[in-house]
Amino acid sequence: MYAKGQRANPFLTRRLTSIFKSSLRQYVIVLAFVIVSSLICYSIKDIIGYRSVSFALLFLVSILAIFFGTGPILLAATLCAIIWDFFFIPPHFALHIENPEDVLMLVMFFTIALLNGVLTSRIRSQEKEARVREERTHALYQLTKDLSIYSGYDEVTKVVVMNVSRFFHVDCAIILKNDQNQLNTWVQPHSLLTLTEEDLKIANWAFEHSEKTGKYTESNALSNYTFYPLLGISAKMGMMIVKRKTELTETETQFWEAFLSQISGKYEREFLLDVTKKIYLLSESEKLYKTLFNSISHELRIPVTTIMGASDTLLNQNYPNEIRRKLYTEINIATIRLNRLIENLLNMSRLESGRITSHPDWYDVHDIVNSAIESLNQELQPFQLSITIQPEIPLVHVDFGLTEQILHNLLLNATQYSPIGSEIGLELFFNKGFLTIQVMDKGKGFPESELHFVFEKFYRGKDSKAGGTGLGLSIVKGFVEAQKGTIIAENRQDGGAKFTIDLPTEILDINSYKKPED
Amino acid sequence: MANADRILIIDDEVQIRRLLEITLSANGYKISEAASGKEGLMLAASIQPVLIILDLGLPDIDGIEVLKKIRVWYQKPIIILSVRNSEEDIVKALDNGANDYLTKPFRTGELLARIRVAIRQDENLLSKPILEFGSLTIDIANHIARKDNEIIKLTSTEFSLLALLAKNEGRVLTHQFILKEVWGMSYIEQTQYLRVFVAQLRKKIEVDPSKPKLLITESGIGYRFGD
Repeated sequence: MYAKGQRANPFLTRRLTSIFKSSLRQYVIVLAFVIVSSLICYSIKDIIGYRSVSFALLFLVSILAIFFGTGPILLAATLCAIIWDFFFIPPHFALHIENPEDVLMLVMFFTIALLNGVLTSRIRSQEKEARVREERTHALYQLTKDLSIYSGYDEVTKVVVMNVSRFFHVDCAIILKNDQNQLNTWVQPHSLLTLTEEDLKIANWAFEHSEKTGKYTESNALSNYTFYPLLGISAKMGMMIVKRKTELTETETQFWEAFLSQISGKYEREFLLDVTKKIYLLSESEKLYKTLFNSISHELRIPVTTIMGASDTLLNQNYPNEIRRKLYTEINIATIRLNRLIENLLNMSRLESGRITSHPDWYDVHDIVNSAIESLNQELQPFQLSITIQPEIPLVHVDFGLTEQILHNLLLNATQYSPIGSEIGLELFFNKGFLTIQVMDKGKGFPESELHFVFEKFYRGKDSKAGGTGLGLSIVKGFVEAQKGTIIAENRQDGGAKFTIDLPTEILDINSYKKPED
Repeated sequence: MANADRILIIDDEVQIRRLLEITLSANGYKISEAASGKEGLMLAASIQPVLIILDLGLPDIDGIEVLKKIRVWYQKPIIILSVRNSEEDIVKALDNGANDYLTKPFRTGELLARIRVAIRQDENLLSKPILEFGSLTIDIANHIARKDNEIIKLTSTEFSLLALLAKNEGRVLTHQFILKEVWGMSYIEQTQYLRVFVAQLRKKIEVDPSKPKLLITESGIGYRFGD
């Protein structure tokens, strides 16, 4: 942020010249310089001779020409000529000149002083114009640059307010329009002005008429502020309210308008971006809703149907124990399936709402693996599970629950896509700052074209068995990313799928660890 | 007038109470039911049950508050049965005096096992200078542990850890609780000490240290000792 008092150097000189610009003051200062210099010259005229005085005065006029406008310089040149003639050229205290050389000298003095003074002052004013132009180009460039970096209404307003105060030395406030194309009744955050009811009314009027109004304009001239509509290319975006202390000159107005149109353009782009985002979200949520509806309703109905049917049979018919037992087993399986679905949905919604945070602590990799396998005891039964954990693996710093769930979902996924009796591989090792987890199966793998979608919500492999929602793997990805890790899915060369996860972690070597109190 | 085999169920869901009532009665327990925190507090004081099963999501008072209030005077086991399954919730309940924690949905077999362990542990707490777990015996008073009648070489910290876990057989002890008891208050965040010692202890007492059967990990919460 730029403090209001802090101004870049070019503005200091600009301020100085503007002090001198006030014409009366300029004349007085020039007059003072001429008189003082003349007095000094008068006191030493016997030492340097009266002709040298003309050079001294000529020098003074040239110097003054650097700082003052044409008028004061004309005055200085004329005054110096008269003073030289009157006080220095013999006879003294008379305008009459005896020596013809002195007449020539005086004429030359006057001409040179005049030319010198006028030319210098013209060059100076041109240079000044060029500098102002450069400053404005720089200001516009700065604004464009700042606006391109930031996005979001709040950030943009912050940048706008900062730049307006930096380049125009005025405070301002921004009011934007709402979705119904009406002006909001509050100023944007970061605005520097507070507005009264009356001010808001004026702003509203100006917004509706797309006209500037307020102080230094033709309407509402008694207001404390000047109101400028922010006109984008295709729509009005809102109002900028400025507290001006002086009226803008014509060139300043041009500059201001260029500034304003940059600002309006940025707000318009922000607005359009917002609209696009909303439309995207809407269509996404509709798509999500449909998929959710289709997939979940099916996934819910099947186990509920099983439970209902089986329990109904058990209640109403008197079957032998063996059949009753089979029905109980079916109910049990259905509830496990229901429970899994609920877990997945809850995890998904926790992920979607951004409420998953990683709470890493020191853990033994074996413990995490054991917990995951324990929870899948039944499902893993028909497979050959081969676990390879790096010998002497150090303690890792990860989130237990998330990592366990990652393993759980990947192993469960493997059981669903592998032929009964095949091998499911699990490997864990530490390598260069990462805990690497690999899960490999001997199923069909993924079609190459679908490898990119594997972690998408509701993605299901083409040949998937009935059951499953396509949430498991996207939850895995979410949990991996919550721990700032990465996951890739690939096909193994000899068939089957392979998942590789890298979780960044610190480590603690158990064996080299210095034990407390032992 | 303690009720030797009466269990109090505090849960607002009728169906859960019914399920528990059927299951527990069939296993020889007598049941009292409370549908709210207030009713639960009252019943707990008047019937002095042998064990309390407490839900956390009660309509009137939060379950944790009920737990704290009962714990002020009630020494017997309290098992939490709740849908809240985050590590924070579980640790909070255990740190506030719950003996065990089961999340809904639960398996009735699991619940019955936990109830048996909790009651047995409660009865054992007073006596038994020597604890036995299969081939492992722990002589608390003499600081000696034996496996298959062979003395296991344990450092004093390892023994303190083993003794603490064994005395609380079947009960989940949170990381913080163990660290505080064995190492002291200032080590409460140093979970790495715990991991290192658990790994060492498992190598000495477990048959297969990579598949522990005695010193069991409770996901992200703590440890439980049991066979």
